Amino acid sequence: MRAELYHRSVVAVLILLLTVPVLATLLYSLSEHWGATILPDDLSLSWYLQLWQDSAFLAAFGRSLAVCLGTLLLATLIIVPAVFVVFYRFPGLDKLMNALILIPFAVPPVVTSVGLLNIYADGPLNITGTPWILVGCYFTIALPFMYRSLANSLASINVRDLMDAAHLLGASTPVAFLRVILPNLRKGLMASLFLAFSFLLGDFVFANLLAGSHYETLQVYLYNMRQTSGHFTSAIVMSYFLFTLFLTWLTARFSK
Amino acid sequence: MSYVEASGLAKKYGNATIFQDIHFSLRKGEFVTLLGPSGCGKSTLLRSLAGLTDIDAGCIRVDGEDITRAAPQKRGIGMVFQSYALFPNMSVEQNIAFGLKLQKLPGSEIARKVADVIRLVALSGKEQHYPHELSGGQRQRVALARALVVEPRILLLDEPLSALDARIRKSLREQIRDIQQRLGLTTVFVTHDQEEALTMSDRIFVMDQGRIVQEGSAEMIYTRPATEFVARFMGSYNLLTPTEASRLLQLETRGHLAIRPEAIQIFTPGQAYPAHLSAPLPATIRQHQLLGNVIRYQVQAHGITLQVDQLNRRAEDLLAAGTEVNLMIDQQQMREVH
Ligand SMILES: Nc1ncnc2c1ncn2[C@@H]1O[C@H](COP(=O)(O)OP(=O)(O)OP(=O)(O)O)[C@@H](O)[C@H]1O
Ligand SMILES: [Mg+2]
Repeated sequence: MRAELYHRSVVAVLILLLTVPVLATLLYSLSEHWGATILPDDLSLSWYLQLWQDSAFLAAFGRSLAVCLGTLLLATLIIVPAVFVVFYRFPGLDKLMNALILIPFAVPPVVTSVGLLNIYADGPLNITGTPWILVGCYFTIALPFMYRSLANSLASINVRDLMDAAHLLGASTPVAFLRVILPNLRKGLMASLFLAFSFLLGDFVFANLLAGSHYETLQVYLYNMRQTSGHFTSAIVMSYFLFTLFLTWLTARFSK
Repeated sequence: MSYVEASGLAKKYGNATIFQDIHFSLRKGEFVTLLGPSGCGKSTLLRSLAGLTDIDAGCIRVDGEDITRAAPQKRGIGMVFQSYALFPNMSVEQNIAFGLKLQKLPGSEIARKVADVIRLVALSGKEQHYPHELSGGQRQRVALARALVVEPRILLLDEPLSALDARIRKSLREQIRDIQQRLGLTTVFVTHDQEEALTMSDRIFVMDQGRIVQEGSAEMIYTRPATEFVARFMGSYNLLTPTEASRLLQLETRGHLAIRPEAIQIFTPGQAYPAHLSAPLPATIRQHQLLGNVIRYQVQAHGITLQVDQLNRRAEDLLAAGTEVNLMIDQQQMREVH
């Protein structure tokens, strides 16, 4: 009885700790002013209206979406066939791949950024300050999510036997891949895409260091707005939060 | 005139020889079993016939046509895998229709053929089910239907029954044999189960360490094993070394002497026995095992333990350990093997 009470209160405190800041931010973003009173004075959507009519915000949001979606499109086109080839032709490479995909996480983002800046600031490939360096860098961030998830999907089916069976029934290797293997990867692919997407959308360090104000993404915009009204930044944070919440929900749906 | 002709097939992985020197020919409509212990190269040989694994040497002909280097899609060979290899994202119907759709047949014809083959393998009512919703035996029949529906020239079956429990295995093996005979399909069946091989095949190829060591009808292989390996593999043969053979039976042999347990008869003292067999061999019952309709006795004679099978006719006839008996061995049924 006492143990149960204890467990319940721990959970309650935890939930409170996690939700209070969000609720406070929500309330703050919905209030015109919040001065000396415990609860805000007049609730309104005015900050949101102002935000969603701000062309700088919309542009930054659009840039973020473009870079993230572009990265994920590129990543899908490259990683899906790559994982398939590893599993079908070179199963021994899986170990190597698992080590490789950890590198982007093993090296701190600031260190990576400085290295990338050194390489791409001049020379033949001068792409710092452009979205392209972000796409390239984000690709390495998305790789671990996507590789692991796709590898798990592939490991759960018998790739060699399925391909062999399809071949004997008259399918070429590309047809067998598209009709027999790919449909089984859909769930894993979607789940990892949503996960990678919300992760990339939240990136500030790379976006700020590699592109900065030359290509202002959502997080950089948020940072640059830090001096303006707290109600306004709260509205930004809440918009962003609701958007990722929606993505998380989609992820959960697709990974069922 | 042989329909399938394989000569000099050989395969190595690195330094390991998987099989070599494989020669055989199959008649049209014949059911042949590749029988051998685990790891002897049966699956690899089967995959080579299907074109899924390259061979290093040799030649395969089907109906006079050299298919040694042909792509698997072009061989007209169907295969059922041990793992079933059903497409998990497709229903039973879609799995079976897969090959027909690739042939770009008209939809009505596909539907007709799929319905026919579903009836043939007795899966009516399961058309819309997905593989994970089926039992092992049902999955195996979907795999069979999927291979049959494209009307292959040869059907290859790689241990299709080994993952199933004994009862289903028996009924499926009759179904497979029945379908094969109805369609007159040339079939190569792989198994490591000698009972399966004996009950199903027109001919058996016994494989050991990448070689076919004996081929022949089921009766032939069972009653006249050519080598010690085949004798050991085919069942509970008594194998006597040359010294044991001379001690027990005063026979001079160079190789082992193989005697089937059911070729030995037990006579209790006082029981009359036919004189035309051999001189009675005094022996002592050591123990017995009940195998259902057969009782297998461990019997000792001249310090050598023999296995003897007797039909389990009446419970009262059971011989207790220590009973002194006489053994009669049918000389005709002894085989010298090397
Ligand atoms: N791709 C491969 N690379 C290297 N060795 C292989 C490969 N495939 C099979 N082998 C080896 O070839 C030998 C024969 O394998 P195979 O699968 O043909 O045996 P099998 O007779 O079918 O056995 P089982 O009854 O267990 O299925 C084994 O020793 C196996 O380790
Ligand atoms: Mg095998």
